[in-house]
Amino acid sequence: MSNSAPIVDTPLYDRAGSIKGYNLNKMAMALSQAENRTAFKADEEAYLDRFGLADDVKKAVMTRDWKEMVRMGGNLFFILKISAIDPTPITAIGAAQAGMEHNEFLRTRLGKAV
Amino acid sequence: MAKLIGGLGTSHVPSIGVALDRGLTETPDWKPFFDGYDVGKKWVEDAKPDIAVVIFNDHGNSFFLDRVPTFAIGVADEYKPVDEGWGPRDVPNFAGAQDLSWHLVDKMVERHFDPLVCREIDVDHGMQVPMELFFGRPKAWPVKVVPIFVNTIQYPIPTPQRCWDLGKVLRETIESFPSDDRVVVMGTGGLSHQLQGARAGFINQEADMDWINNIAGNPEKFRGMTREDYVETFGSEGAELIMWLVMRGCMDEDVELIHKHYYAPASMTGAGMVVLENTV
Repeated sequence: MSNSAPIVDTPLYDRAGSIKGYNLNKMAMALSQAENRTAFKADEEAYLDRFGLADDVKKAVMTRDWKEMVRMGGNLFFILKISAIDPTPITAIGAAQAGMEHNEFLRTRLGKAV
Repeated sequence: MAKLIGGLGTSHVPSIGVALDRGLTETPDWKPFFDGYDVGKKWVEDAKPDIAVVIFNDHGNSFFLDRVPTFAIGVADEYKPVDEGWGPRDVPNFAGAQDLSWHLVDKMVERHFDPLVCREIDVDHGMQVPMELFFGRPKAWPVKVVPIFVNTIQYPIPTPQRCWDLGKVLRETIESFPSDDRVVVMGTGGLSHQLQGARAGFINQEADMDWINNIAGNPEKFRGMTREDYVETFGSEGAELIMWLVMRGCMDEDVELIHKHYYAPASMTGAGMVVLENTV
């Protein structure tokens, strides 16, 4: 199964994403180790450089552009480890992908009274 | 031989674990969700299982994209909770039902499933949260575990039919295992949610209720759906509901729906559970 019959606004994480986002995800995966989280917090760019990321990928990470990270092949479950450091709530990542302001996302998609 | 005493279906949303860690279970956002599990907990307490077979997906914690097994079986004597990036959780290690795990590996290969066999592996919230929901937070878990990891992260993921068939093999495994163990099977994941793409935040309460109401009595409709149908109906991450089919396939055709519970949203997810028993 690939994305041959696309579902609207719903990317499937398939070979294309896996190939494209491999280094980005590998960098994020390494954040499950405490010493790497320390390194990331101390000097984010130096940490990112260890994984040979292209400049535009580095920029997406450093500006926390969640939509762009996903577009670049970042898989949510890996880039969540970046959000754990900030910490950025998962609903804010969702809002960014939906192209909505956070409270609007909580209201319209999740039915929260905010 | 070992005895299959019941099947549980449940969500494994990570924020459920966070709510437990932070003592948020009595807050307005969470209380209705956790209250619904009381009857499930009571059922487990009365049913006294010795072993829990837990079917779940890893979320980029124990497996990276360097190797993605469609099905993997833990055969360890112990499993540690993995650090997912937020630091280690105060959850006890899980003792492995090693002999049943190896027996499952034997049966799977005999029946033309070819799993990855894991002698040493940590487990993430996919397994931790269902255990906490049904067993609470004991000092030590009252059951040993058999972890079955299903890839639902990177496509191609297995088909619903394949998950169902794995359930059949699991049934044969339990009923040919020479012991007096009482075994409960837990299918986990879902319900509807989508975390990626512009449709992020998608929850389909109507479809979730249909699932909760019909997984016992009419599982055929779910078994016959394609993976695309799952993604469209339950969201890209909600497609992990296919793992409940391993549990449902393991049970008899006729089952009794003992308990059900649904609440939305838990974080960004429709969440709930069922408790099933074979009627005979």
